[in-house]
Amino acid sequence: MTNFRTFILGLAASFGLPWLCLIVIPALTYQQLTPVAYDKDADGLEGYYPPAPINGQGQLVYIREGCNQCHTQMIRPVQLGLDGWYKGWGQDQEQRAATPVRPTELRDYLGEKYALLGVQRVGPDLANYGWRAPAAAQLHQHLYAPRSVNDWSSMPAYSNLYKVQKIQGPVSKHALVLPKKFGPPSGYEVVPTPEAESLVQYLLSLKKDYPVPGQSAAVAAAAEPAKK
Amino acid sequence: MQTTPDTSETDLKADNLRRAAIDKSVKAPVLFLFTNGAFWLMLSTILGVLAAIKLVEPSFLDGCPYISYGRLQPAHINALVYGWGVQAALGVMLWIMARRSGQELKSGKSLLITAGVFWNITITVGILAVLMGKSTSIEWLEMPEFTWPILLVCFLCYAWPIARMFGRAIRPEGFMVSTWYILGACFWFPWIFITANVALHCLPGLGALGAGIDAWYIHAVILLFFVPVGVGCAYYFIPKITGQPIASAQLASAGFWTLAILGGWTGMQKYMGGPLPAWMTAIGAATGVLLLIPVGLVGLNHHLTALGKHSAVATSPTLRFVFFGALFYPVSGLVLAMNSAFWTGSGLQFTQSWYSFQVVSLYGFFSMSVFGAIYYIVPRLSGCEWLSVRLIRNHFWFSVYGISTIVIMSLVAGWQQGADMNNPEHWDQNFMNHVLNSRPYVVSRAVAWALISFSNLMFLLHLLLMVVGLGRRSSAPTLLYSHHDEHAPAHA
Repeated sequence: MTNFRTFILGLAASFGLPWLCLIVIPALTYQQLTPVAYDKDADGLEGYYPPAPINGQGQLVYIREGCNQCHTQMIRPVQLGLDGWYKGWGQDQEQRAATPVRPTELRDYLGEKYALLGVQRVGPDLANYGWRAPAAAQLHQHLYAPRSVNDWSSMPAYSNLYKVQKIQGPVSKHALVLPKKFGPPSGYEVVPTPEAESLVQYLLSLKKDYPVPGQSAAVAAAAEPAKK
Repeated sequence: MQTTPDTSETDLKADNLRRAAIDKSVKAPVLFLFTNGAFWLMLSTILGVLAAIKLVEPSFLDGCPYISYGRLQPAHINALVYGWGVQAALGVMLWIMARRSGQELKSGKSLLITAGVFWNITITVGILAVLMGKSTSIEWLEMPEFTWPILLVCFLCYAWPIARMFGRAIRPEGFMVSTWYILGACFWFPWIFITANVALHCLPGLGALGAGIDAWYIHAVILLFFVPVGVGCAYYFIPKITGQPIASAQLASAGFWTLAILGGWTGMQKYMGGPLPAWMTAIGAATGVLLLIPVGLVGLNHHLTALGKHSAVATSPTLRFVFFGALFYPVSGLVLAMNSAFWTGSGLQFTQSWYSFQVVSLYGFFSMSVFGAIYYIVPRLSGCEWLSVRLIRNHFWFSVYGISTIVIMSLVAGWQQGADMNNPEHWDQNFMNHVLNSRPYVVSRAVAWALISFSNLMFLLHLLLMVVGLGRRSSAPTLLYSHHDEHAPAHA
């Protein structure tokens, strides 16, 4: 270390190279990433990939509650994990799917400000939750009282997203149907707030395994286009 | 500078006076950072207990939405990183740099204090915001967007005088390995911090790449900020207390530059097999393993330096903490390598071993080294000695057992979770097995954090007594296992 200048230059160069290659250039090239059109002949599909955006309003609730601490949104290829073979983790809800769910790709998260790939996998992966999600009413029950669905669950009860209110007149058509143990006192009902509604919409919109243009999966799916 | 042999007595006296003047010049900011940091540390460990409890029993303190696991865990980590970690690191950096460069802090003391106050206010607001539901869910950057420019400016207020000291005192023939690390930390942290925040908050949205950049940010802050400060501490205090020069200049230099070159590449392997371009995760995995080289070089150097002087560990509290921290450096390197390599990482991905890595590097290695530094620095600044051997000893043992428990348990839990996840028989099962199998490990984590919180409470009280000048008035330092100190009267 002959002098201050050389030393600082050394520090800058050693860190600058990975900074440039790993962060700056990829971040700038990412800006050019756009949806790709399906080829009607090859893929058998029309429109653009990825076809449907996620529900951004509900994602804000997901973000602020820190759901990504326990739920990932990323399917790994089969050589790294069995994610793809888990029942119902993709579009195919069959008992035993013929092919594994395809691993997630960069474009699947297009349009999201920050992809919530997740910190740990305490609960199941939610990348393609929209396909296997139950009806909205049951989803609300799961969010309001997770242990009414699975008594071993370690998921927090998001009762702050619901309102317990006195029944005035007929019972609200949005009111949650809960087992007695988890329900409100008699004469009261539990209704979702708009935040809970948008969170559920977001969860239902999580479908990240649309066929990729030009890939064999797209060809296979062409025989049986997405219906749901 | 570490040892001053064959100097005449007048020189020694002048030297001591000069050191006293340097200590006096940095006293206010350094003590400010240490006490506030210790407060955040205690808070963070308490939040850690709560988060672990909530992970096992989500209905604990039911009806309080502010402490659901998804909000508590980020608050716990942010308090540990920004409340304790960065503040304590800045205090140690400022003191070591002033001492090593032989420079007094000339001016700007009030600016430093102001920056410290703003840092603490911002962290308080940020962590409260996370608990109130304003989290960004960007790991380690969960505090709301407006906090980062303030934190950056506050950090630069400290980094600038530290870098100036280095610049003024550099001697071409000098061998200043601890200050290399500290200058590196000063220089890299703002760079990493700006990069991650601009990319994640200011650019129009990077999707999955943003998640990769966040993973890179976490690794870079650990490897290029916390690790250099911890290693800098070890390089300063091990020779100082054992009285031996650093064993090898070549090893020191190689250890530093390999860390500098490799540190910036790693991180994205957190999302191996994910949507990121494969070369990014591959290069992160490769460097994550290659980082064993600097880790090994530094570990070897420390081992050679301390060779034959291990008995000093029994008496000096500083050396004991620093030594333990230095032992945990190779351990954190190993945990990183295991998480990084595709071979083991595919099982450990998205499991508690990720938490294990954060705790071992931030607490086992960095914090333990910094505790050692604090036990050395504070008596010199406050003009009194540590009150109680017992408090120090308790702090040490509770921390050692607590941290080891968390690190080992989280690693084993990670292995278990990975095995469950990749068990073909679970393909059509729900998550009951995963949840039930990982529960005991989280319980042990809660217990360990509770022990650590207890020791941190004692540490905080001890430190506060020292800072207000209620320490022992004595010319002899407080040493562990030396009988005349055991029975020293505690002057209040």
